[in-house]
Amino acid sequence: MSVTIAHQTIRIDPRAAWGATKSELARQPRRVRWWLAFLGLLVLFGAYGDIASIAPGDEALGTTPTVEWGILIAAYVFFVVTTSGLCLVSSLGQVFGIEQFRPVARRAVVLALVFLLAGFLVIALDLHYPIRLLFGVVLSPSPFSAMWWMGTLYAVYLAILLLELRGMFTGSERLARAGSTLALGAAIVAPSTLGAVFGVLVARPFWHGSVVPAYFLLTALLSGTALLGIVFFLVNRLELRGHGPATERVVPALGTLLALVLAGTLFLTAWQTIIGLYGGVPGLSEATQALVVGPLALRFWIVRVLLGLLVPLVILVLPRPRTALGVPVASCLAFVGIFADRIGFVEAGQVAPGSAASGVVSHPLAEYAPTLVEVSIVVGALGLVGLLYTLAERFLDLAEPASRDHAERPGRGGATDESRAGATGHAGAKVPAHEGAGVL
Amino acid sequence: MSGQDGRHAGAMPVTRRRLLRLGLAILPGLLGAKLLSRWMPGLGEDAALGTSDLPPAGALPPGPQGGPAGHDWAFVCDTTRCVGCGLCVEACKLENHVPLDPEYNRTWVERHVVTDDGSVFIDSPEGGIHGFPARSTAPGATGRAVRQSFFVPRLCMHCENPPCVVVCPVSATYRTEDGVVLVDADRCIGCGYCLVACPYGGRYLVPSGGQTPAGTPGVADKCTWCYHRISRGQSPACVEVCPMGARAFGDLNDPESRVSIALQEQRTQVLRPALGTKPRVYYLGLEAEVE
Repeated sequence: MSVTIAHQTIRIDPRAAWGATKSELARQPRRVRWWLAFLGLLVLFGAYGDIASIAPGDEALGTTPTVEWGILIAAYVFFVVTTSGLCLVSSLGQVFGIEQFRPVARRAVVLALVFLLAGFLVIALDLHYPIRLLFGVVLSPSPFSAMWWMGTLYAVYLAILLLELRGMFTGSERLARAGSTLALGAAIVAPSTLGAVFGVLVARPFWHGSVVPAYFLLTALLSGTALLGIVFFLVNRLELRGHGPATERVVPALGTLLALVLAGTLFLTAWQTIIGLYGGVPGLSEATQALVVGPLALRFWIVRVLLGLLVPLVILVLPRPRTALGVPVASCLAFVGIFADRIGFVEAGQVAPGSAASGVVSHPLAEYAPTLVEVSIVVGALGLVGLLYTLAERFLDLAEPASRDHAERPGRGGATDESRAGATGHAGAKVPAHEGAGVL
Repeated sequence: MSGQDGRHAGAMPVTRRRLLRLGLAILPGLLGAKLLSRWMPGLGEDAALGTSDLPPAGALPPGPQGGPAGHDWAFVCDTTRCVGCGLCVEACKLENHVPLDPEYNRTWVERHVVTDDGSVFIDSPEGGIHGFPARSTAPGATGRAVRQSFFVPRLCMHCENPPCVVVCPVSATYRTEDGVVLVDADRCIGCGYCLVACPYGGRYLVPSGGQTPAGTPGVADKCTWCYHRISRGQSPACVEVCPMGARAFGDLNDPESRVSIALQEQRTQVLRPALGTKPRVYYLGLEAEVE
């Protein structure tokens, strides 16, 4: 039995598949093989956690009745909100027509798909009965539940991404454009609904309110831009498919966007912190204090604020430190900072327990420490993302059609270049034609 | 090129028959998955599938108006009587097979110590199941001048406007006609949303190993006001064993019940009223600071 994808026939036969995999791996350059081996190790490490967490008891995870949402939830938020951010940045080029962002489309959407799948993997392992979820949301839906909406919207989002990818890779311009517009809509509605999952809870003053949906939308843009900044730096540096003047122009554009979003995030974070500390609002002030001066403070100030917001912002804004490495370094730091932010956010919302003790030993703040199983699941998901994306880079054509044009003709820039060099350009183009005509 | 055409010509066109065949092939897969999800809780555990606290139909004694709808259950905790003996916690664990680990409680007792400067210190060693050590005080209050000290029994509030019910993505938790909030252990997916949504810390996810209420680990569980008992005219286990009469349970539709009389004759209070949950557990003798 065989199947044809993109004009290539693949035999569905285990031995043939294994043989094909081996020969394909052998053909890769050494650097790539080492990188794939490293990612493979991460995935294997993750497999330990994946298998250990399947049995529906609580022992594998470090969560307790007072802190039931741990790093798996934080990782889920991280993955799916990054997905939305990637589509938001991609839509700047595809939907809003901003030329500098056009080259990101294919890579952004492929990354978005990979991140969304990783998010689903992580959350399915946190749930104790994921199969029941699939039946339950369809057979006994709860339209008043923010989580029901969030799950439904992200499932729809997956379908939209697949549609968009189909349009992009089969050259169907209309489908791709429809997909991009739908993806933009989903990329706005889905992360804000995920924010509402936290925002509707009156029991958790740190999460309650309308800020969280807006904050998730803004930080979606942050993580999406940061990730693309890293990816496109590598596209140019490693001379991956489709690299050229267009992809080189993307990086400073992403840097500018990242700087703006970092400023906005810093602004929101600062005000949330100040207002949280103002007055002794029960629940809110304990949570904010835990984050700012309590057990969560180290990670908050050093990783989330300093490395994740201030340093990248300084790198991107001040002219002196702005070197060729400025954008990727700032992007890396911002990306790590966002991950730390998700963990801090989920923990801070639960540390001031609703009940004074409910039998838990630690008081007045609840404590949570992730187990090895949880850490391995998250690490494995990150490895999986890297692995899938690396394979996509190797075997799929991730160059945007427009940028491929630019790469072939390095002299031709954007529209302005053409109009400015109009006379000479035309003259230059005419001469070979004349010569050709002469020869003919 | 022609080879490809040949292959396409040889492929089966999508006919109704092919679609039906595909559908029939998927159906056992779906059913298998459904069965698997039912069996998974039973693997290694006592495979009591579908057991819940609900009594068989017809066992419910009629209220003043007849049937479960005739009842309007409520609960009263009198903190002026509670001495923190912890018998209620133990009775609940025995009656409902609540996991024995101290962090899993359907009900628990807290000690509140208010010092002269107005600070509050709260503790609940193992939920209060072994009482509170003699000649001790809440951690942090040692050596301070104490203004007030009392015990607060805690349990699910069975709110009229329950934040846990509205957030469940699969509608696994619900409020009955007689005012009891219950969890369907067969539908719950163990996402924990109801846990974080509850302002009173009333819920927990059932751990595996050891005794479990419905034989299903990983699902949400909480106080049910001993629904299997109250539907037969008995009172919840914690109310039954309390030696001080600090807990009362009854029907607000019955003007002679302990709860109706308490609400009529005393000034009662609920926890965190500003959240709009409208709890059905009323407290007597609370100091204003109790959260």
